[in-house]
This record gives sequence, C-alpha cells and structure tokens, in this order.
Amino acid sequence: MQSSASAALLSWTIDVRGIALLVFVALIYVRGWVRIRRLLRNGSDFNRLYAFLGGLAVLFVATGSPLETFDSLFLSAHMAQHLLLMMVAPPLILRGDPVLPLLRGLPRRIVKEGLGPFLTWMPLRRIGRFITAPAFAWFAFAVSTVFWHLPKLYELALHSTYWHGVQHASFFWTGILFWWPIIQPGPRSREWPRWMPVPYLLFADILNTALSAFFVFSGHLLYPAYATVRANTLSAQDDQTLAGLIMWVPGSLIYLVPAFVLAMRIFAVPRGMESPVRVSRTRRTRRGSLRLILPRVRRVAQAVMLVIAIVVVADGFFGPQIAPLNLAGILPWIHWRALSILALLAVGNLFCMACPFMFVRDLGRKILPAKLRWPRQLRTKWVTTCLIALYLWAYEAFGLWNSPWLTAWIIAGYFLSAVLIDGLFRGATFCKYVCPIGQFHFVSSLISPREVAVKTPEVCRSCRTYDCIRGNERARGCELYLFQPKKSGNLDCTFCLDCVKACPHDNVSLISITPGKALIRDPYRSSIGRLSKRTDIVALALVIVFGAFVNAAGMVTPVMGWEHATPANIALFVIVGAIVCPALAVLLSAVLNKISSRGLSVRDFARRSALALVPVGVAMWAAHLLYHLATSASAALPAFQRAATGVITAMAMPSTPAWLTPAQILLLDAGLLLTLYIAWRVARQYTNGVRRAVALVAPWAAVSCVLYAAGIWILFQPMQMRGMLH
Amino acid sequence: MDVTLFSSPTPLRAGRADLSVMVQTTADRSSVQDAKVILHLKKSERGNVEEVMAPATHANATNKLLYAANVNLPSAGKWRIEIEVSSGGTSATASGELAVLPPQAPAATYWGYFALVPFVILLFVFNRWLKRRRWLKYPEAPP
Repeated sequence: MQSSASAALLSWTIDVRGIALLVFVALIYVRGWVRIRRLLRNGSDFNRLYAFLGGLAVLFVATGSPLETFDSLFLSAHMAQHLLLMMVAPPLILRGDPVLPLLRGLPRRIVKEGLGPFLTWMPLRRIGRFITAPAFAWFAFAVSTVFWHLPKLYELALHSTYWHGVQHASFFWTGILFWWPIIQPGPRSREWPRWMPVPYLLFADILNTALSAFFVFSGHLLYPAYATVRANTLSAQDDQTLAGLIMWVPGSLIYLVPAFVLAMRIFAVPRGMESPVRVSRTRRTRRGSLRLILPRVRRVAQAVMLVIAIVVVADGFFGPQIAPLNLAGILPWIHWRALSILALLAVGNLFCMACPFMFVRDLGRKILPAKLRWPRQLRTKWVTTCLIALYLWAYEAFGLWNSPWLTAWIIAGYFLSAVLIDGLFRGATFCKYVCPIGQFHFVSSLISPREVAVKTPEVCRSCRTYDCIRGNERARGCELYLFQPKKSGNLDCTFCLDCVKACPHDNVSLISITPGKALIRDPYRSSIGRLSKRTDIVALALVIVFGAFVNAAGMVTPVMGWEHATPANIALFVIVGAIVCPALAVLLSAVLNKISSRGLSVRDFARRSALALVPVGVAMWAAHLLYHLATSASAALPAFQRAATGVITAMAMPSTPAWLTPAQILLLDAGLLLTLYIAWRVARQYTNGVRRAVALVAPWAAVSCVLYAAGIWILFQPMQMRGMLH
Repeated sequence: MDVTLFSSPTPLRAGRADLSVMVQTTADRSSVQDAKVILHLKKSERGNVEEVMAPATHANATNKLLYAANVNLPSAGKWRIEIEVSSGGTSATASGELAVLPPQAPAATYWGYFALVPFVILLFVFNRWLKRRRWLKYPEAPP
C-alpha cells in the first residue's frame, strides 16, 4: 500500500500529444541554436539554450505534473499551475531568444517559401508590433488574469476540458505578450524609455496583489466546485487562502525582483554599446566522425537484426502455432513493420541500412561465383511490383500475420533468395530488382527528411577517381550503381553508406532535405533516369499507394465479411483495389488532363503526378501500422517470456490509447497536404498560368482526396487487432 | 466510508468512458488507498438488459488517489451504477444513476483535425497571393 502523499506525487498526466509537441519544438530550437552558434561566434550562448529548454520543462511540469492532476480538487494546485504558465514559462522561453533559433531550425525552404511571405507582409508585422507594444501587452495580460478568475468563467473552465485548455492557452500566450517588452527577444529590440519596465512591472504587481488579497480576505468561497469534494483535512476555504498566498508571495516576487534589478541598472550603469558580434563565414569542418561511426553502427544493427530474424524463424518453425504467443506472429507484423515506416518518415531508410539479409548476401558471394549479369529485360521494377501485389493477396488469403509457420517460411525464403541471387549475379541485384521490402522502402523514402548526398558539388567536379561508385581499399563502391554527383532522392538507395566511407574527400554524407523534394524535381538520376520516363516505377508506387488502403481495409469489419466469403472475393478485392483502381484513376486523370490542356506531354505529366500520390499512400501505411503498434506493442512480452522460459503467463490486453486516432488523422492530413503540394508544384512546371495549373492538378487532387476520405473511413471502422487470439 | 464518483468525458457519452472513484474515511476524510473497488453498470430498457462490470484500480487512474476503470458503455440512456468498496474487513456500496448521451459523430469529435487540411490550403493560397503581389510590386526582386 502506498501513502496518500506518494500516490499524489506519482499522479502525472502523460499527454502524448503535448509531450510530442514540446519535444518537437525543443528539437527545432536546438537545431537552430547549433546552426547559429556555428555561424556567429559568441552569438548564441548556453544560457539562452538552458533558458528555453527550462521554459519548455516548466510548461511540461505545469501541464503534466500532479499540479494538473489535482487542479480540479485543489484551488492551490491550480493557482500554482497558473503561476508557472503565466509568470515562469514565458520569461524563460523569451530569455532563450527563440525567434531566430526556431527559424534557423526549420528547413530553409519552409522558412523561405512557406513562412517568408507572411513574415515580410507589412500588415502582419504591424499587428506583431502592436500586440507586443507595452500598453497592449499589459492590458491583455491584465484582462486575461481578471477575466478567468471571475467565478462563472472559472467554473466553466473547471467543468469543461475544452474551456480549461482555452484558459491555460490564454494565460500562457498573454504571459508571452506581457514579458515580451521586458525581455525584448528577437533580432530587433524596441526602443522605449528605460524606466518604463519598472512601472510596467509594478502596476502588474498591484493588480496581482489586489486579486490575491481578494482570495485571502474575501471570507467566502469563490468557487463552490472545490467544496464538493475534499481529499484531505484542508477545508475549501483554507485551500482558497493558500491559493491566494501562492499568488501573492511568489507572484509578487516574480514582478518585484526584475523591477528592482532594472531600477538598479538605470541608476548604476550608463547605457553602453553592445559588444560587436563577430561573424565568421568559415564553417567548422566536420571531423569525419560520421564517416567512421555510421558504417560501424550499421554493422552492429545488421548483426542485431540478423539474430532477431534467426530467433523469429526458429520460433516460427518450432514454437507453438498460436500467433500471439509466437515471436513470428508478433515481431514482424506488429513491431518491425510499424517501426520501419516510422523510421522512414522520421529519418530515412533505416531498415535497409540494418538489413539482416546483408550478412547472408555477403556469404553467398563468397561461396558462389557472383559473376552473372541480371537479364536486361528484368532490370526494371515490374518483378517487384508483381511480388508486392502477390504479397497483398497472400496476406489476405493465408492470413500471414496469424501464421507463425508461414511467416518463418517467408523469412527463410528471403534468406535463400538473397544468397542465391547475390551469389550468382553481380552487384546488389537482389536489393535493386527483387526485394519487395526494399522497393517498398525505396518508394516510401522519397518523402524521408534525410538523404545520402554530396555536401559540395564542386568537390565532385574535380574528382577523377569516382571512389563513391568504383570503391577503394576502404569500402566497396555503390552496389546499386548510384553515382553520387548524379544521385537525386532516396530511390534505390539502401543507406548502406559505402559511398560515405569510400569518398576520399569526405564529401558524401547523410544530409537533411525537404520531404518530397525528390518528387517535385525530375532531373536525370544516376542508374534510374528520369522518373517521368519510368512507367515501371510509377506502377510500383501506385501498387504501394493503393495497397495501403487495400491492406488496411482488409482488416475492418464491413470489408472483412464480404472479402472472406469466398477465396475468389479475396483475389477480386486485391486485384480491383491495388491494380484496377489505380490504373483507372491514372487513365481518367490523364484523359481529363489531355482535354483541359492541349499540347501537354500527358504521359510524362501523368507519371509524375501519379508519383505525387506517394505521400498519402505512405501516410495510410503509417496510420494503419501505428494502430497495431500502439494497441499491441505489449504483446511482445508474453511471446518473449514464452520463448525464453516456455511458460505462458497472462496474455497482453490490447487497448486503444486516446492519442491514437488524432495521430492517425494527422498523419493522413500531412500525407494529403504533401501530395497536393507536390502535384501543384509539378503542374506549375508544365504551365505558366495559375488557372491552367489548377485545371491540370484538379483530377489528381480529386484522386488524393478520395484516397484520404477512404483512409478516414477505414480508421473509424472497428479494426482487427494483432497480438490476441482470433 | 465516503465514496465519490468522477466521470469523463463531460457529458458522458456512449463508448469509452473513464470512471474514477475516490474512497475516503468518514472520520477525517483521508483517502483510502488499499480498497478493492468494483463498478457494476446496468441499463434496462424495454426488457433489454445491458450490463458492464469492471474493477477500478490505481493503475488505471491518472490521479493515484483514485481508483479508475476504463469502461465501454454500449448505448445511451440512463445507467444504474453500483460501486462496491471493501477495505480492511469493511465494505460499502454506493449507487446512483448516470445519464449517458448518444455517441458523438467522429466529425464532431475530431473536427479540428479535419479542418487542418482546408486551413493549410487557405494559408497556401494566401502565401501564393502574397508572393505574386510582391513579384508584381518588385519584378526585379529575387523569387
């Protein structure tokens, strides 16, 4: 049994969405801070970093700690929470001088193209200046403070999650406005009389004192909701007095201490010139650590994945044929699929980087001659397109996820194919032309935020050894025949990093790119050519895109009943969903494009626009697989326990967390928006007029919206869970 | 023992619901931490009886002073709830009625997430308008 005090201290509210947002903002800030620090010596000190991160930490404490949990039971807890939101988090965040680091932390294109026009729009700048002016900022802060403490409004916030959120948001943002004129963050500081902050803070303290005195001395309960339930001997009236004292004493100190310090500065130090900032254009050269570390990390990851694969295959063959108790029924279908696609969206093609088949492929090359050339007719993506379509059918027809034995056979077959194909044929034939998993990752990684690419093109122009493709004593060259200076996007790149290791100029690295950039441009790509000429790649992408919806729809109740009525229905469902529908969609869109825009090279345009559908398809895969991971991740524990000890204890109970549906919708939102953006940018390359571009993009936008609507419909249907008995 | 029931969401709707129970001693209103709490929910309507039973535990609760259960209420209507509490050899039962509204349509629950798409599209259109305006004003300026 735990005491009430320890139970209270353990009462943290874990809001995944809030934490994810805070972590995201922190990462953007740190990235920008590091960039500024590289550019400006002494331009970005650690105090700012600590202050900003401290401000975010205070926000987390205010919204996730026991203060949040107990704010509906104790006014004093609620008051402490408000104090943090209004008077502690905002000044710390502003002390971090967040504007420049946040802008520098975002991809340059997003800042320049996306935010730039807004940031330079004069009316918006005027509004910004107006709301951060001392008079408005003070008034907004005062109104927000008084307004939300009126009994009716306070009770409204107590009884409604929505209004409670609005209350906290208004406290935080008016706090930001209030502290802005005092701290004056940003590249341009406002000139206002030096003595002004002192009365500004003192008047705020007077308001705060009046309000807190009212709490302490009013003599009656202001908020009756707190009288309904008392969790300990502290009466509601005493709780109100305590809340008033919290507001009064620490609250006043937060105003008075800076007011005192500022007053002392006015009297003590004459206004001086700030020390000039030295600008250095010379970027610190990287120490080549990435080149040395990443290949080693990759080798270790491959070894770990190989061990896991062997264990999964062994358990699949020899373990109990009950999917929730067998590692082959759990790890590949719940964990690996979801984690690899989330890694694709967050970083890049990490699965291929850590591919467990790499060791056996190398072994195959040592045993077998590896001299043959892959037949010219098969040097396309048609083979893998057919294999992926076959997988989609087999998944439904044989319930692969529910059969450890078949899963083990698939993995073992994969090992055998990798050994035979790469043992007989030159280069990475298996990866480039056969592996369906690899092709899935290649296509999905077209919207990844990282790419293996050259750092400085000029260095490559003077290179005469071409080690990145030919290899040298340090590393073999690119086995997929991607010549770095001509490489664009992640297509066919396994993230093996051989080129990174081989480049004698340390000019190849894992660099950040704007997601989807590879689909907007259509340069000649090494070993691939132009995407607008590759029907096989478009077909592969379309099967993956539409396959996402087929695969997810096959698990929702309204579809499952019809689909599994007869074996023919399954085949019909997959063929229509993954082959006929995309073919019709592309055909119809191309015909409409032809009608609306004569003289257009419809085939090229249709190929590129069809590839623009990749984001919405990948988003659907991610939303679907995230569901299985979020609901059934814990299913691995009993399976591991059974595999290790042979004992079966309690089965995991799948449950749906509250953050899942919003996260899935957000994924689909992001996928649709990126698809529409890419389609628009592609259309603009084919025509100058906005109206003609709209006409061109309309059919493709309609297809993507239909896919989005289908995805939303699927997400709201009861979906079959993994990791439990069916 | 004093027993208080908290329910979420507000108002309660058919579907997932979080029911939390606070157990306090009558004497000093200190919270009881070692109780066993079971929730029985029952709805009878036109001869059709629906029942839900769930143990409430600290593990399910965000506020660890409370005992919580995540229950799935299959339909709207008036549900009778009985809370069985036993601790240290004594037991108590509290009962009451819960008014459960029909489930909200997904569009109403998640409208903010759906509205994001048209909102971003509008921002994009505005962005393009601003860029075009700037280009018309300063044709020599870099794009």
